[in-house]
Amino acid sequence: MATSPLEQFVIRPIVPIHAGAFDLSFTQSALVMFAGVALTTALMIMGVKNRALVPGRLQNLPEMLYEFVAGIVHDNLHDDDARRFFPFVFSLFMLVLMGNLLGLVPYSFTYTSHIIVTAALALFVFFLSTGYGIYRHGLHFFSIFLPPGLPLIMALLIVPIEIISYLSRPLSLSVRLFANMTAGHTMLKVFAGFSVSLIAVSFGAVLGFLPVVVNMALLGLETMIAFIQAYVFAILTCIYLKSVIELH
Amino acid sequence: MNLTPEELGRKIKEAQDRQGQAPGAPIQTGESTPAGRAMRAGVDLAAAILVGGFLGYWLDKWLHTKPLFMILLFFMGFAAGFLNIYRSQTGQDFKIGMGTLDKTEPDNEKKE
Repeated sequence: MATSPLEQFVIRPIVPIHAGAFDLSFTQSALVMFAGVALTTALMIMGVKNRALVPGRLQNLPEMLYEFVAGIVHDNLHDDDARRFFPFVFSLFMLVLMGNLLGLVPYSFTYTSHIIVTAALALFVFFLSTGYGIYRHGLHFFSIFLPPGLPLIMALLIVPIEIISYLSRPLSLSVRLFANMTAGHTMLKVFAGFSVSLIAVSFGAVLGFLPVVVNMALLGLETMIAFIQAYVFAILTCIYLKSVIELH
Repeated sequence: MNLTPEELGRKIKEAQDRQGQAPGAPIQTGESTPAGRAMRAGVDLAAAILVGGFLGYWLDKWLHTKPLFMILLFFMGFAAGFLNIYRSQTGQDFKIGMGTLDKTEPDNEKKE
């Protein structure tokens, strides 16, 4: 029988590196991550090399990506803050997008399907936004947990709830991306597995083709989800930053 | 057809007006589909309950008050989860505080 649908998520070292008790091996996940960064950089540099007034196809792509992310950032943040955080949000968006898209290439690896990756990104956003909130507002930042006009007696109940709600942000941010990616790729493998099973029965060659058709449709869906999840990650990052800047 | 940049800009604007799409308008995506919102609601609720539960567990360990805070914060996490859902479904996202419900300041940012 074919391998398990979860087999694809196993991390495999390419260059084993052991530093004391730590396993710092260069894995296939890291390789795809590097590929994503290299591809993004190459796309940006190559795309804007000619700086044509009427963009060609290669220039159009970076411009579209730029305008897309700039739109998200400027919708949520004001001028100075938007300029300050655009590079960060853009990098984050491209890293997640590349992870999702490169994962769809056969024999590749989806690094966003590992919660440690998405959690690291989400925690970075969390600490960045919290730190920036404190930097901007000082101790006044903590009034974020106290909705305006709240009777003081209610604060005993509302403040812990708001704190839990605030702390749950990185968790829901990372789980959303991770769950979408893992579920999608597992589904692709499960349908591919159906194909293998069906080939074993009579008329197998005909029947075995049916899951392939489903998989083709699923692959289209997965491509859409890859974009949507990168978009959601970027827009939620902006919303979190917005909430710590505006407080209420 | 040779156009100056101004003419090109005007033509693009006309085309955008025809399609009823303002430049820089927010792009509608899957989060606004019912399934996307439902998915999001589930994650939002579960995340807050988990955070509440773990926070309580950790406080109990620290203060040796097992199981007081875990029970208390579990239910508060439940409340926070519903607050998360309420906010994400009404388009306020994770805005802390009551945001758009505060009638004193008109909020025109209700896009999603």
